[in-house]
Amino acid sequence: MVPRITFHFIWLVLATCVHAGSLSLQNPRFTITSSTAAQLRTDTLSLAEKPEPLKLGPSDTLKFTFQITENGEGKGVQPHQTFLRFHDSVSGEEGIQPVRVTPGGKAKFELNMARPPPSLPPTADRPLEVSLILGSFVHEPTIFDLFDLYVPPSHAPAPHPDEAKFHVLPLIHHTFRPEQKLPPKFVSVVFAALVLSPWLVLLGLWSKIGVRVPHLFSPRIIPFTALLGAFEALLCWYWIDLKLGEVLLYGGILAVPTIFAGKTALAATGEWRTGKN
Amino acid sequence: MRFPLSAFLSFLALANNVFAKSSTGDSVLVVIDSSLQKEDYSKFFGGLEERGYQLTFRGPKDTHPPVEQYGIPGFSHVILFTPETKFVVASRCERALSIVIPAYTFDITPQSLVGLLSEGTNLLVTLSTKQTPLSSLSAEFSLIPPPPGTPLVSHHPARSEPATVVPIPVPESPLLTPGTPPVWFSGVPHAFGNSPYLVPILRATSESFAADSFDDSGADTLVDASEKVGEGLWAGSQLGLVTGFQTLKNSRVVFAGGVEMFGDEYANKTLPDGAPSGNEKFVRDVTAWAFRETLALRIDNTTHHRVGEEGSPEKYTTNDQIIYTAHISAYDPETSSWKPYSGITDMQLEFTMLDPHIRIALPPVTGEPGKYQVQFRAPDRHGVFKFVVDWRRKGYSFLQTSTTVPVVPPRYDQYPRFLSAAWPYYAGAISTSIGFFLFSALWLAGDVEGKKKKGLKTE
Repeated sequence: MVPRITFHFIWLVLATCVHAGSLSLQNPRFTITSSTAAQLRTDTLSLAEKPEPLKLGPSDTLKFTFQITENGEGKGVQPHQTFLRFHDSVSGEEGIQPVRVTPGGKAKFELNMARPPPSLPPTADRPLEVSLILGSFVHEPTIFDLFDLYVPPSHAPAPHPDEAKFHVLPLIHHTFRPEQKLPPKFVSVVFAALVLSPWLVLLGLWSKIGVRVPHLFSPRIIPFTALLGAFEALLCWYWIDLKLGEVLLYGGILAVPTIFAGKTALAATGEWRTGKN
Repeated sequence: MRFPLSAFLSFLALANNVFAKSSTGDSVLVVIDSSLQKEDYSKFFGGLEERGYQLTFRGPKDTHPPVEQYGIPGFSHVILFTPETKFVVASRCERALSIVIPAYTFDITPQSLVGLLSEGTNLLVTLSTKQTPLSSLSAEFSLIPPPPGTPLVSHHPARSEPATVVPIPVPESPLLTPGTPPVWFSGVPHAFGNSPYLVPILRATSESFAADSFDDSGADTLVDASEKVGEGLWAGSQLGLVTGFQTLKNSRVVFAGGVEMFGDEYANKTLPDGAPSGNEKFVRDVTAWAFRETLALRIDNTTHHRVGEEGSPEKYTTNDQIIYTAHISAYDPETSSWKPYSGITDMQLEFTMLDPHIRIALPPVTGEPGKYQVQFRAPDRHGVFKFVVDWRRKGYSFLQTSTTVPVVPPRYDQYPRFLSAAWPYYAGAISTSIGFFLFSALWLAGDVEGKKKKGLKTE
């Protein structure tokens, strides 16, 4: 047990020795220039308060210079990690850009939007939060929130062909053909009446001349008339309900007696007409 | 009183041993490198055995038990604790004959591991800073490993541990227990390709990066690395440390950047703030996902029928009202059984002929667990259609089903018969029929006097 405690103690001592001091930022300064080298904005950064968001056009250049010193004193140091972090807090996209620091602690970072570095994350019309991450094997690590930066939106990277399947896809509704338009029922009734009107004429004329059917119930005539009526009823039934097969079956059955009844009936009328009877 | 309680508790423990296991089987092969001691991972392996897994250990060079025999996987899950095992050239004589003897036996190759995945076996793979066949395999799964020899380094937060032993906060994820404390990690990060089949489980912190320099004078090499075209610098929270990949066969593989995070040392190690680390809970959740205990779903069956009918018809007619039903279950590792699951709210059904003609939501039916149902009208296009459900979400088992049905136009007797627009035609047809019948009756039964007289005259 004792050696373990000693071991931990050594680590603690080492840690206090190793993290000799904290790192601080001196003279952080940014300049935005346009492609014609005109200076658009330049200012010293206050680390206590974020400045107005910085805006970069598609061909502008941002220059950011600072010096890293130990304990805020004049002696510059070169830490192991000097990274600028560009973070889109909405999409979670992040880009890390290491900054070259001289052994004297001076650093210069240049962001030319005409040739943006690959580390810049995909951007939208939101600002990127820019922070500076300092890390060292000797000093206390620290993070400085620097400023918000508007850059022109980037093109979205090409997604994987299967990416869409991992999201809710847009709904698809089938466009149906429009329902068949029917004329008003009144028009149909009028035309149906027109079709039936010759019956009025026929019935009117018959009533004038008078129709006599003396042989209607004659036993040689009535079966054929009845079978013809059955055929008409079958066709009407077909229209309302029956299927073609059934109609053919029933029609076939009806046809056999109809042939014989018809032969008898025609023979009978033939006899009457020729006056044989 | 004490006796029954203890008996009940031991029964519970026994029940736990018996029931709690994976949805795809509980035999696990652990391939462990000779440089690692099984005892250093006693919590991890003990936890697996407690959950009902049967562990079989073998070295990477052993031939028995085989991973696969006659194309049939020998185990349901394989753990590869071989982060540094490589292919090595054995001796000068063999080198002269260009015989390469792998440190693995012939049955563990990247190809055989992919074969295992396609047979439904799940894998847990550990990587290291060395370039091994497994790091090449990870590249096939859309992970981009950093150059060899560059472990994850983070100076944040200030702590007594070396910069390569990093406490990583555990993110919120459906496959991790909420509120898991940060975990200790030591190993190699990886960047992600654009494959949507990746399931990032643990990401690096924003302040961490992959580096091969271990004092402040290495700062320039980091900048140089970032300026290299094509490679760049592995840095920031877009890197993964533990990442899953789910195949189209629903088998799962997890790539962990280091084997140390599974060990007892990190499980017992306190965080910089003095709290216990979350390693034990985290690796438990990771294996539960990898071995298909959690987020494992399946489609029990699907049915379809016309509104007002019971059975599935052989074919549908255009414009039919169709009801489609799917029953979905989720695996419950507590009881080791499949239970109806109604938690999916964004499932969609497609009615497809080459392209989807209809895509609609397939919502769960309230009051009936596990049942998802939708009614829709068949399109007025005939052809061979498919009911397609293809639900893919990161981390969950993919739900895929397809049922083919023909959709035909109406038969000759299925059209409407009593259209009002056709009344004049019906009237015409009926009056013709009646006219024919009347004419026949009159002609047969009537008495034509004039003709008779004429006939008599000619006689």
